[in-house]
Amino acid sequence: MAERVVIAAETTWSRRRRRLTWGRVARGSVPYWLILPVLGAIGAILGYPLYRLFRLAFQHYGLEELIRHSGQPVGLHNFGHVLHDQIFWHTLVRTVIFTVANVGLTMGIGTLIALLLVRVSTVVRVLLTAGLVLVWSMPVVVAVQVWGWMTNYQNGVVNYILTELHFGDYFQHNWYGSTFSQLAIVTTLIVWGALPFVAITVFAALAQVPADLVEAAQIDGAPPWRVFLDVTVPIIRPVLLILTSLSIVWDFGVFVQPYLLIGQTHITPGNYLMGIYLFEKGYFDNDYGQGAAISILMLLIVATLSIFYVRKMVRIGDVD
Amino acid sequence: MRLRVFVAVALTAALGVVAATASASVDRHQANKITVWLQVDAQSGWPDVVAAANTQFQADHPGYSVDVQYQNWGDHLQKFDATLAAGNTPDVIEMGNTEMTKYMAAGAFADLTSLKGTFANSSNWLAGLAKSGMYGGKVYGVPYYAGSRVVTYRTDLFKKAGITKAPTSLSQFLSDAKLLAAKNKQKGFSPVYIAGTDWYFAMSFVYDFGGQIAATSHGKWVGTLDSPQAIAGLTAYKSFWKAVSKASPTTDENTPPPYNVYSQGLASAIVGPSWFSCCTGKTFTSITGQFVMPSHVAGKSIPGFLGGSDLAVPASSGNKALGADWIKDFTSTANEKLLQAKGNIPNATSLLGNSVNERAAARSWFVPAAKHWVDVENGNILRNMLAQILTGKQSVKQAAENASSNIALVLNQP
Repeated sequence: MAERVVIAAETTWSRRRRRLTWGRVARGSVPYWLILPVLGAIGAILGYPLYRLFRLAFQHYGLEELIRHSGQPVGLHNFGHVLHDQIFWHTLVRTVIFTVANVGLTMGIGTLIALLLVRVSTVVRVLLTAGLVLVWSMPVVVAVQVWGWMTNYQNGVVNYILTELHFGDYFQHNWYGSTFSQLAIVTTLIVWGALPFVAITVFAALAQVPADLVEAAQIDGAPPWRVFLDVTVPIIRPVLLILTSLSIVWDFGVFVQPYLLIGQTHITPGNYLMGIYLFEKGYFDNDYGQGAAISILMLLIVATLSIFYVRKMVRIGDVD
Repeated sequence: MRLRVFVAVALTAALGVVAATASASVDRHQANKITVWLQVDAQSGWPDVVAAANTQFQADHPGYSVDVQYQNWGDHLQKFDATLAAGNTPDVIEMGNTEMTKYMAAGAFADLTSLKGTFANSSNWLAGLAKSGMYGGKVYGVPYYAGSRVVTYRTDLFKKAGITKAPTSLSQFLSDAKLLAAKNKQKGFSPVYIAGTDWYFAMSFVYDFGGQIAATSHGKWVGTLDSPQAIAGLTAYKSFWKAVSKASPTTDENTPPPYNVYSQGLASAIVGPSWFSCCTGKTFTSITGQFVMPSHVAGKSIPGFLGGSDLAVPASSGNKALGADWIKDFTSTANEKLLQAKGNIPNATSLLGNSVNERAAARSWFVPAAKHWVDVENGNILRNMLAQILTGKQSVKQAAENASSNIALVLNQP
């Protein structure tokens, strides 16, 4: 549909191009004038900080430089230092595994909830959607507090319930005793927070799946999972891809949830995620130059992933 | 929300610098206001001292107001760094004595050497505190108060367990704790609640057994937690902790604060700063006592961490003279005596009394005087070591060796 409009616009444009007049140019340039304030605003709030970030990455910038308000140029030293730091590579691997787990769970459970939404009665659907919106509107910091309380060592409700339900003696069970356990709790928080967006978006996409196609497949005797994989998924694939790539971007750079839930006094190189590594280097060690270098490396990694997905998306567009 | 998180991470390093350039030109110093950053301890413990200082300051400087902003130990340095970048530092800042060196070395504070004589009792300042506020022979920090660490305990429970006097050795304390445990069977009850990674308390064992955290050798720092003495101390800490505390082995002494556990009736004793007596809960105020933590050598006290605070005037403050004046009012003899009455150690030897806090200070240890010490604290090297030891993931020796090499790495940074 959208493509047809684009094609129509293109043909109109090529037909008109023959008679180019100043008035036409002036009128034609109106859209660009209109978009200029937006570009200016984006340049100011995103472009300028980005420019400063790049400059910072090539400077030695510590506490003394912060007070003097000027850094010393050091070329690629910051990048070299980071790339030779074992902690960087360990953190990268840990963050990739963490991201895969979080994105996989978010997409999987989110899609299941969306499928559920299609099948339940209107009343239940409204209740479920309302619940999802409530989760979505919960500020992250508040959610962290709730999670911290639920998993509290002494008075946590999770330990209490698990013990009462005879899952074993969870009295004073330490949910933050190992890196795996810490990141697993963080994962539950992040997946929980990201589910509404995925579920509601996939639900919207499912509405686009023609009922007659599904019906035809069913009449042909396809079991439900075949119908889902061969009929539904190809149709909603663009939405799934967008959601997946967005989730990767979000989860790869996540900071607030792990930092607050694990707590500053428990953050060590042994449980760094990329965002935290950057924060510790930049702010705790007062090495802003290295912090900037790390954030540029992160930007490159995320950009590479995004390009991969955008290209895949474009190819899907071509096929359709 | 999500976008904000992402942007915050992606641009986190840039923002500080942008803020620096953006607001450096903005003159935000209001003509008749000074900004003071104190730690929340003052807010919860001695708001009257703050009020007294403000009243005095306003009497001396009519028309001026004092904006006291309370900070947390956990993030006040990050916030201070941000104000350094933005050029809107407070006019007075309270710094932990372990935090001073790095900032003095970087030139963050105004030189107060010429004003030293105008501060009350400055000729008798506590040596340990005064030293933490000096760099290159110049005075940058004014001693505010010190605090030692003691045991705060329930007199009723001790009596019920048949303990008639405070323990005078570690082994006696241990057997007392067993009596207390036998009389208090509720789940999660700690005879002595000690947060697993309370490194201030744990390092006391290291120093008690003759060890230390780090030492200099040929101009370089060497981590010494893997020395036989330090390992003996850490081993003693581990077995004491295992026997007396039901705290999480990985938790710190802030979440939950030990006095909260105490006020819930889940501990017959807690370890920590002497001002913990402030917050033991109404029911327990009259049945709370304090004693000095005993050493493994009978009759001696364990070396305690001598914590303390200095007050400094940031070099980029627009009201340096006024800031110094406020410090003068805040650390007056009368105010120091008020602080002393709250259980703190006043800033001068001439004011010292005979409280449990002051007696505990008789044997004390202090962190290595290294420029990068604060990075060891912030990097949680010691806390991580203790967590590894108490959870049994690493042997004492293994954990101590790892910590020692990490400490050396951090302290020897340029």
